[in-house]
Amino acid sequence: MTVALQTKGLTKDYRSPVKEPGLWGGVKALFDRKYKDTRAVDGISFTIQEGELVGFLGANGAGKTTTLKMLSGLLTPTSGEAVALGHVPWKREAEFQKKISLVMGQRTQLWWEIPAYETFRLNQAIYGIPEPDFRRNLDELVDLLELGDHLTVPVKKLSLGQRMRAEMAAALLHQPRLLLLDEPTIGLDVVMQKKVREFVKAYNKRYNATIMLTSHNMTDVVELCRRVIVIERGVLLYDGPLDRLVERYAGHKILRARFKTPVAAEDLKALGTVVRVEDNSVVLEVPRDRIAASAAALLGSYPVLDLDVEEVDIDDIVRRLFSHS
Amino acid sequence: MKKYLVAYSISLQETLQRRSTLIMDRVGGFAVLLSLYSFWNALLGTKPSFLGYTRPEMLTYVLLINILRSFVFTGRGWQLVGEISSGRISSYLVRPLSYHGYALSLDLAQKTVHVASAFFEVALLSALVRGGLFLPRDPATWALFLAAAVLASLLFFFMEFMVSSLAFWTSESGGPLFCFELFLAFAAGAFFPLDVLPEGLRRALSATPFPYMVYFPARVFLEKVSLAEGARLLAIEAAWLAVFLAAALAVWRRGVRSYAAEGG
Repeated sequence: MTVALQTKGLTKDYRSPVKEPGLWGGVKALFDRKYKDTRAVDGISFTIQEGELVGFLGANGAGKTTTLKMLSGLLTPTSGEAVALGHVPWKREAEFQKKISLVMGQRTQLWWEIPAYETFRLNQAIYGIPEPDFRRNLDELVDLLELGDHLTVPVKKLSLGQRMRAEMAAALLHQPRLLLLDEPTIGLDVVMQKKVREFVKAYNKRYNATIMLTSHNMTDVVELCRRVIVIERGVLLYDGPLDRLVERYAGHKILRARFKTPVAAEDLKALGTVVRVEDNSVVLEVPRDRIAASAAALLGSYPVLDLDVEEVDIDDIVRRLFSHS
Repeated sequence: MKKYLVAYSISLQETLQRRSTLIMDRVGGFAVLLSLYSFWNALLGTKPSFLGYTRPEMLTYVLLINILRSFVFTGRGWQLVGEISSGRISSYLVRPLSYHGYALSLDLAQKTVHVASAFFEVALLSALVRGGLFLPRDPATWALFLAAAVLASLLFFFMEFMVSSLAFWTSESGGPLFCFELFLAFAAGAFFPLDVLPEGLRRALSATPFPYMVYFPARVFLEKVSLAEGARLLAIEAAWLAVFLAAALAVWRRGVRSYAAEGG
């Protein structure tokens, strides 16, 4: 196995101006600006092998995006080291840039007024992709991402889901060996989320590409990543198999039910921990091994209109993890 | 090299795609052209010349302003400011691409469209002009004019690029650029020939790079400067270009470093 990505004590401080509230604070800041250093990433070390698909988790502001930006060479760390595909990312060597891609769900590199195909052509030239390779990669991407004829329509006319997939294609035309995905499914509907997920999985398999992905969507992580790295306030909290993380910190699932008539909270206690009862609906936390039994019991004994079983919110697990440490 | 050609080509497509912006731009430019023309027309009245400019020369100056504005004052400043403050600049920094080369290609596409349109407008107006225009006969004048205009457009590009790069530090990033542009049009002679100004002010301006952007090429075209003097001024213009090219690259490098240090 080859190491694709390795960091040692990666640390990043941000410097931001501090302004006192109000107009007077603004005037004061004009003459005497004060700064505050915030440590966004604090001494993170990990190693990722080639072909691994790793989930990178943490609450908002935990330092995920900052880390991805350092690994892609956008940010220079305050201290620490990183080697990605044999390069120091922030040297921004063309050879390195040709082998990686950073996709941020909320940013776009596509040209807005013209069809996505034109941006693809531009990327072909930027990355120096030979014509036969370009055609082959494009065909594959169009196929995998079900882009069809969306490529000939101006980007601004595409739906968010279509645009996101076109965005992925633009980022992958040069077949990066290392793919950094920041919230790739954000804002997408469930069907689109699934498509993007399937694609990421397929890309990882087909090219043995190394992928690091952040997501708030637990399903993304569960379906894609065997290994996860969790950070909180810049500190690495957990690095290991997802199974163990979920067992340890999210030994339960969420069961939501809606009834024809109100149900007493007391009666439901036997089925799991009651989180909330509102009129005709209830939210329960049920241990994983009892989900089927509890659901069956609910359906058997109550006038159920609707029943849902969900994974615990990723933020929840991370919060639990944090409170444990 | 090919990447910049492709960037030029798709930027051309996009400029043409945004028809309404383009038309609005051109209508605005034409309104300026028309009002300057009427203004000078009225000022000249029946006088044969004004401030050393004959009637055809003055009207030619006004029309040249329109063409030079379209060729020189396009730049990518506002786009750069926007891309820095929105963080979109990141998507360029992670790709193997020179942002300068890229921006220059995009700017060239804008110029292509705007200059073509300016020629059309000038043709339209000159068909209506009484008293004719001044057209130089000497091919050397044309060559010098073209050289001065090309240098002027590069000078503007890098100057504006430098000012826009300040957006890496100022959060209200448009400010410096706005001040710059306001001063620029005046100091470059894009409203009137600088001969209108008092001697002292004119002298002071001539020590700056601004007059090289419109005033100087226009005077070359009108053969107000001898070829030898023109060549000398061209050399100074080239020196200014070298200065601002170096400054723009330096500010950019520092800006990117600070962006990398502080985050977007």
